[in-house]
Amino acid sequence: MSEQDDTDLSQLLQPGRLKKLHSSNPLQKIKFYLIVSVIWAVLISGLYIYIMLRFPQWPVVLCLGVVLLFTVWSGYKAYVLYKNVNPLVTGNSLLAEMEKQYEGINAWMELQMRVAVFIYPVAAAGGFMIGGMIGSGKSIAFFLSKPPVIFALIICILVLVPVCIWFAKWLFRKSFGKHLVTLKENIDALKGVD
Amino acid sequence: MSETQFLEQVRASQGIIYKLVALYAADPEEKKDLYQEVLLQAWKAWPSFRGDAKFSTWLYRICLNTILTQKRKNNPVEYKESLEPVSPVIEHSSIQRENSVSLQKAIRQLSETDRALISMHLDGYDNSEIGDILGISGNHVAVKLHRCKQQLTNLLTA
Repeated sequence: MSEQDDTDLSQLLQPGRLKKLHSSNPLQKIKFYLIVSVIWAVLISGLYIYIMLRFPQWPVVLCLGVVLLFTVWSGYKAYVLYKNVNPLVTGNSLLAEMEKQYEGINAWMELQMRVAVFIYPVAAAGGFMIGGMIGSGKSIAFFLSKPPVIFALIICILVLVPVCIWFAKWLFRKSFGKHLVTLKENIDALKGVD
Repeated sequence: MSETQFLEQVRASQGIIYKLVALYAADPEEKKDLYQEVLLQAWKAWPSFRGDAKFSTWLYRICLNTILTQKRKNNPVEYKESLEPVSPVIEHSSIQRENSVSLQKAIRQLSETDRALISMHLDGYDNSEIGDILGISGNHVAVKLHRCKQQLTNLLTA
């Protein structure tokens, strides 16, 4: 088969085909994930506010208030990153283009990790308290006055938070790990780093 | 700038896309994906093409930038149909063709950045142009090219 006979390429070079193509560029995907994160942050914030109004007990309000602040903060950071990520490939040098992508993916990963570290512990505690309150039918003050419950809460945070962070990292590695390694290798190869 | 004009220009230089994709795609499925992505990125970037450089050089940049920033399969596998001569020789005797296919196979065994480098060298770009496209100095290109040629010699004589 010669290049002139490559039907896969020739078919794409027909009028009207370009408009039907969709990009699978990693930064394009990340941009999509970011806007989804912003939408979720808005929805979840609304849910937190509803729960705080529905269960106006100070431990719940305190935990969810902190989580709400972090959610709003993470939503804002996701929006800023969304505006800054440029998924279009340009005619810049290959090195600049690979560095742009490497930094874009890393910025997204760091944002996710920061959110995880700050939000997961408070979210776990908040979830534990609301669950306990609804399950036992007692107030949180009464519920938390028993030492075994405090002990269970600590265990819950100590187990759930690392598991969730590990799971988030695993998902990230599964999605972009190999790609990041390849990008780094190629960047180092071009820069002459052995 | 119309789609028709763009397609005309790309058709005239489609050998670049064909050749570069063949150097990096692991299988026919990935080859199709890369064609699509390269064309889409070139189409989106086309309004920024001011004609300072030749269209073919600009397409070369877009093509390389797209392929090397795309998530690809890790282990390249050989697929017969992509093994085409890498240099624009008009008539091939069977020996020439065999040599060219061997060269293509050897180039595929180089690292990803070295494949880009040697491909541009075979297409007649000088060290300064290659450096400009890759983002490194002309001297660095010369050193890397020397190493690539040594590697290719070893691969072809092994």
